[in-house]
Amino acid sequence: MRVGEHREVLAARVQLLSRLATVTLAMIAGAFWYVQVLQGSHFRQLAENNRLRKLAVEAPRGTVYDRHGRVLVEDLPSYNLTLDRSRGRSVPDSLRFAAGILERPVEELERVVERYRGVAPFQPVLLAEGLTLPEAARFRVAELEHPEFEIQVTHRRLYRLGSHAAHVLGYLGEVRAEEIARPQSPYRSGDQIGRRGVERAYDRRLRGQAGEQVVVVDSRGRPVEQLGRAVGRPGEPLRLTLDATLQQEAERLLEGQVGAVVALDPRDGAVRALVSAPAYDPNLFARRLAVEDWQRLVSDPFHPLQNRALQSAYSPGSVFKVVVAAAGLAEGVVTTADGVYCNGSAQHYGRRFHCWRAGGHGWVDLERALEVSCDVYFYALGQKLGIERLAEYSRRFELGRPTGIDLEGEKTGLVPDPEWSRRVRRHPWYPGETISVAIGQGALLTTPLQVATMMAAIANGGRLVTPHLVAGAELAAPRRLDLPPGVLEPIRRGLWRVVNGGGTGATARVPGLEVAGKTGTVQVIAHEAYQDTSQLRREHRNHAWFASYAPAAAPQLVVVVFLEHGGQGSRAAAPVAKALYETFFQPDLGVAPNT
Amino acid sequence: MRLSSNPISASLPIPDSRPRLAALASIRWGLLAVVVALSAIGLATVHSASAESPIDYLYRQAIWVAVGWAAMVVVFGFSYHTLLSWSLPLYLASLAALALVLVLGYEAGGSQGWFRIGSVGVQPSEFAKLVTALYLTRYLGGLSQRELQPRQIATALAIAAVPMVLIALEPDLGGAAMFVPMLAGMLLVAGVRLRLLVTALVAALALGALIWSFGMQPYQRQRVATFLQPAEDPLGAGYQVRQSKIAVGSGELTGKGYLQGTQSQLRFLPARHTDFIFAVLAEEWGFVGVVVVLGLYGIYLVNAGAIAARARDRQGILLVVGLTSVFAFHVLYNSAMVIGLVPITGIPLPFLSYGGSFTLVNYLAVGLLLGVDFRRYVNR
Repeated sequence: MRVGEHREVLAARVQLLSRLATVTLAMIAGAFWYVQVLQGSHFRQLAENNRLRKLAVEAPRGTVYDRHGRVLVEDLPSYNLTLDRSRGRSVPDSLRFAAGILERPVEELERVVERYRGVAPFQPVLLAEGLTLPEAARFRVAELEHPEFEIQVTHRRLYRLGSHAAHVLGYLGEVRAEEIARPQSPYRSGDQIGRRGVERAYDRRLRGQAGEQVVVVDSRGRPVEQLGRAVGRPGEPLRLTLDATLQQEAERLLEGQVGAVVALDPRDGAVRALVSAPAYDPNLFARRLAVEDWQRLVSDPFHPLQNRALQSAYSPGSVFKVVVAAAGLAEGVVTTADGVYCNGSAQHYGRRFHCWRAGGHGWVDLERALEVSCDVYFYALGQKLGIERLAEYSRRFELGRPTGIDLEGEKTGLVPDPEWSRRVRRHPWYPGETISVAIGQGALLTTPLQVATMMAAIANGGRLVTPHLVAGAELAAPRRLDLPPGVLEPIRRGLWRVVNGGGTGATARVPGLEVAGKTGTVQVIAHEAYQDTSQLRREHRNHAWFASYAPAAAPQLVVVVFLEHGGQGSRAAAPVAKALYETFFQPDLGVAPNT
Repeated sequence: MRLSSNPISASLPIPDSRPRLAALASIRWGLLAVVVALSAIGLATVHSASAESPIDYLYRQAIWVAVGWAAMVVVFGFSYHTLLSWSLPLYLASLAALALVLVLGYEAGGSQGWFRIGSVGVQPSEFAKLVTALYLTRYLGGLSQRELQPRQIATALAIAAVPMVLIALEPDLGGAAMFVPMLAGMLLVAGVRLRLLVTALVAALALGALIWSFGMQPYQRQRVATFLQPAEDPLGAGYQVRQSKIAVGSGELTGKGYLQGTQSQLRFLPARHTDFIFAVLAEEWGFVGVVVVLGLYGIYLVNAGAIAARARDRQGILLVVGLTSVFAFHVLYNSAMVIGLVPITGIPLPFLSYGGSFTLVNYLAVGLLLGVDFRRYVNR
């Protein structure tokens, strides 16, 4: 059959189709030009994002040692279990297998997987943290039948002393979004950072620097090739001034009580023990903290998270008398020879103030007044000095301001004076309040740590040292008290008599060691000048203080014991100090103590 | 035109309808050269696309290409008039095969379209396209008016519709869709009023709506939905389009180099050796490679157009138009698909995509084209 007369018509139609196809082909080529040449670099970037993964290589956090090199905190390897849902035969099968090894209910694991519902199946699910080595090994052994599981080795913080030294060491927590957002923040999402204590104060030194690994991954996210590696830097080890043995002894002595102990070297401020009771176990925070655990910690009426040694301020009571004595001698208001007759009470500003000893102390001079803690003597001295000078000498001893210790959240305490009364309380200073302040009561508030630095200044001959847990250049240099010569010696003699004479601190006497100190018993109720009732709420028993140092001739250790509602300083607090001196100077009691 | 001086040809009884040695000069070598080039590029790209897979499809594809060349030579040897005279039994046989595959076939990629013969899969729908083109040629070529009558159009539609429906039942919409360009091209050339084509277009849209509502599997609807809004489902079907565009785009001007495409070698790209093989090529050879390959397809189409334009008779023209329309649609649709211009459908790229039956049918089509061209003169 021939084309015949239609041939040109058919050829024209073929031509039309041919042109249509060619033009479409050219348009598609144009589209490829757009995608490959005009948008090429954009897609190249996307392809790079597809294939390259930056993996952080976690740097182990630095180990924390005590002054003798004993390990307090360290990073231990920890095993995490991840599940790649795209690899297993079925997720329920995988979970049943895992539940068997982990000895956890399947439902619990199902809930974990449920949280990853919207996530691509090849993105691993973090199924469990902190596996034991045997558990991890059992997953490794089953690798062939269960390739969907992977064991990741990370680090976990171990606090070797448990709850002991918890407030000093602190704990870690996951970094918050706003902390990552800060300029020059070294943190990345998921990092653990120091939240309290030394972990927080020395976070930058302890944390080191995470390394980075650039790997090529396939479409399932499995690494197929390593491209580059930025070596990280492990965290620096940190040696504390703390004496773990002393710390643990102090913790044991405060067990079941509420209070604080500060022990430091008066020569440089090195903290040897710092206890706040009750405490918590920082290991709780090393894994993801359970909600119930956190609730229990924050709702505990005794606030175990609070560091009472520096985050709580109390009336110092009679311990403050050393400041009053120093002020009196320095101002020339009294001499060591001046005496006061104590018959059990005295009249000041039209009001009767009682001595703690109802029968009175008879004739007392300054040393004797310290020894027996005679209130009547200090009422008189306080009235002579007046509140302005009391406040000024308190500030010289750096009360009412932070000591500058390398821990967070230190309270300032309070040194009251008329100006403060007008500004804060909005009423004038009552003269009777001066008499209360003279025996360390009234509005005056100090932290146990401030009392320790105050005592250190008496012990070391008038230098205010900065308490610290890590010796370092960033510490403030010691400040001089600037007292006339001959002021501290009678006070130190008085403090020696407190323990070794017939004084209130006889319970702190250690055979073979000359301890000097001052007791304090703070009335929590029924003191007219005492306006702040927040301290009254728990119980009505007195607070017990004992602030001391030893050996008296060349002090190496200051020990301050504070027991909230602990009763009398002499009965409750001083024996604690005695036990601590025995522990600290044990190896060579009677011989020259350690240097 | 017998070359009696040649002892071999002189001694062999070569029938008049067979090509003679001297006639080799009138074979369309340009088309053949394009096919050789595309075959080589295809094999190289199949190797690259499956180099990281458990199976390197290069060897299987090489066998199919060899079979394809042999089949091409054989089919070239037959006059297309002979083939057209066999087209009704061939057509009926292919319908039977399409019906049978619905019962006995095995499933791959969501549709039941393969016979398994030993380790070889045969896809009857590919052969049905070829045979239907032959049968349509026979029917439309036998008519001689300038314009077709409605009854004739209806007959042509029916001829195409039967295998199309059978293929759609597998379900393989991509395979079924191939009959549309075939029919449209042949009808247009055979003579259809423009008004009718427009009507057909409207009818096709209505049919499309019906298929969407009743005839589609959920995964197919998903694919269309994804095409319309790829960002909705980045990890599902949208993932494929996205990864394909990334592969193509990241090839930039000159490509990442052979076997160096990260998208394909790291298996981000789906269906690399089949439907998305052009993305592999585009990633590794860049825009330059794309232009070369599209250029080769362009030369193929221009050659086919020239063959049709000077074919000896109406049947020759229609056969070339039918086969080439399908070929062009494969090329245009597939290349538009890898850059996300059209929804993902299983429409492979001739001479590049891996696939036995598909490859074989493409070579057969070339053999038919060359045969039509060779026999353009009355005396051959």
